Amino acid sequence: MMSWKELQNTSFYESPARERAIGLVDEGTFKELIAPIDKFTSPHLPVLGEAVCFDDGVVTGVGKIGTRPVFVISQEGRFIGGAVGEVGGAKISGLFQVALQLYDKIVDKYPNDYESRIPAVVFSFETGGVRLHESNAGLLAHAEIMEWIQKCRNKVPVISLVGSKVGCFGGMGFVCVATDLVIMSELGRIGLTGPEVIEEVMGKKEFDSTDRALIYRTTGGKHKYIMRDCAFLVDDSIEAFRNQIEEVLKMPYSEIASYRSIGSLELVEEQLSLVGLSTELHPKDSKDVWRYFGNENADQIQDLYYEDFMNSVKIRPRGGR
Amino acid sequence: MAIQKLVGKGRDAIQIILDEGSFEENIIGGFTHQSEIGPGAVIGTGKLKGRTVTVIANDAKVFNPRFPVVYSGIIGMEEAYKMAIAVYKTIEADRGKPASEKRPLILLVDSPGNGPGKQEEIFGMNKATGSYQLALTEARQEGHPVIAMIIGRAISGAFLCHGLQADHILTLSKEHGTMIHVMPLSSIARITKMDIETLQSLSETNPVFASGADFFYKLGGVEEIIDDVSDMSDIISRHVDEIYQLNAEGRSMEAGPWGRGTLGAERGGRGARLEVINKMQQEFAEIENDYL
Repeated sequence: MMSWKELQNTSFYESPARERAIGLVDEGTFKELIAPIDKFTSPHLPVLGEAVCFDDGVVTGVGKIGTRPVFVISQEGRFIGGAVGEVGGAKISGLFQVALQLYDKIVDKYPNDYESRIPAVVFSFETGGVRLHESNAGLLAHAEIMEWIQKCRNKVPVISLVGSKVGCFGGMGFVCVATDLVIMSELGRIGLTGPEVIEEVMGKKEFDSTDRALIYRTTGGKHKYIMRDCAFLVDDSIEAFRNQIEEVLKMPYSEIASYRSIGSLELVEEQLSLVGLSTELHPKDSKDVWRYFGNENADQIQDLYYEDFMNSVKIRPRGGR
Repeated sequence: MAIQKLVGKGRDAIQIILDEGSFEENIIGGFTHQSEIGPGAVIGTGKLKGRTVTVIANDAKVFNPRFPVVYSGIIGMEEAYKMAIAVYKTIEADRGKPASEKRPLILLVDSPGNGPGKQEEIFGMNKATGSYQLALTEARQEGHPVIAMIIGRAISGAFLCHGLQADHILTLSKEHGTMIHVMPLSSIARITKMDIETLQSLSETNPVFASGADFFYKLGGVEEIIDDVSDMSDIISRHVDEIYQLNAEGRSMEAGPWGRGTLGAERGGRGARLEVINKMQQEFAEIENDYL
């Protein structure tokens, strides 16, 4: 495996889950919890004649960034598309549980001086959602994870990272936007319904699932940044994601939570006004929405280099439209 | 025993469950919803055995004229935000009251899915369904009992959105035509590239995989199966009382998604989950002092 320093300049998009987990926290601090050596594998896959994996497709552990304990969840797209089953789902919710328990103990121990010590959860998504081979257990796991995200609010900051090969789809598409803040690279993709299903429902003329540029315009990092669905758009390297997490953790919790896109009546009303915009604009393509928000260069946006995009882009105003 | 199929009949179910003539659509506390938004979702206030409750249901008989993929009880963006608003307005209506007086939320579940269209992805269907789930979890934290009653279809993302964040989930038995699953076997076969015969034989015995109320019961995914529609009001009321009691004793985590995990282990359908959770506790306890 690459050294921590080598990992920093590695593509986040290409990196396996464990390398992301190790590289996202301070050098040498990552400790895996329920590691492959524990051999917790899916009891359901063998019944279907499928191979198992010793981490069940998700790496969970804890490291440090500066003074802060940072709990890391990192999904592995190379194993059944990073989909969530019973064991992997339990690793994720089990990690949220220990993070919140640690928070309570820290507040208890340092009642006047806990802010610089409180834990955070960093969730690196690479998944299509529920693992169909054990679909019911995967579905129930999603509900547990949503409950933990709500329980963490105003206590433990939860940060989503999306920039891996598989993207973040299905049920995990709403889990990742339910956190305090989303960091993406332009290669990241977030959606609920996968492109093939949209094509099936709407027809190939409306949505061609083999058109990669269309998929990026609909679900990719630049679109999500314009829509304020992602708070920060970073370069495709582990270091860029890591530096952004470090910056976020310097903020007081209230500032971190100011980047939420959902989770209160006010935010629901803001989102509902965007749905109203959707019914007025009837966009054929995300480019129509980009233009609406003042991006005259909508046709060029996809081809812009990161710096040029960041220097010229106009994002949706806060409060709606 | 009264078997009555309520699939596609959310509004009928409201009338069967609530006290006669008590349902006031679109009104929650001092709030009135603008009715044209989210026609596939029905929200309002009624009485259940004399107790004021908020009801959130699906209307499968209307389609949303603004979103062509939203019909037959599908929860689209407008529907999900409308449902979320109903929850936040319920919290607002009882703010400051003691937990024992926070009104229950009753979710009548009959939806085949979330809106699967292009506009939905451009504007973010994921945010709409996520909003509703966060609102329900917040309502539970505030002390409102949340009971989901499956009267028809509880499918995949629609069930996650409208049902799975409840304290307790009840379902009519399969004789009533209820359906609980993630995906039909034919789609699972296509996506996993497994042959349908194998899947069919497994689906008769394997609860993590099979569809239907009995299997979800074994996984802890539903608390109770109801065999007779005329028992719904009584049984929902009993579960509301149980949740008030659990909340009063500080045991709210014994209900909801986490509580159903424990139930799944007790019923023998989801054993691995609990082993993983316990192992996580044990492994972190060994290194916890490094972080304190």
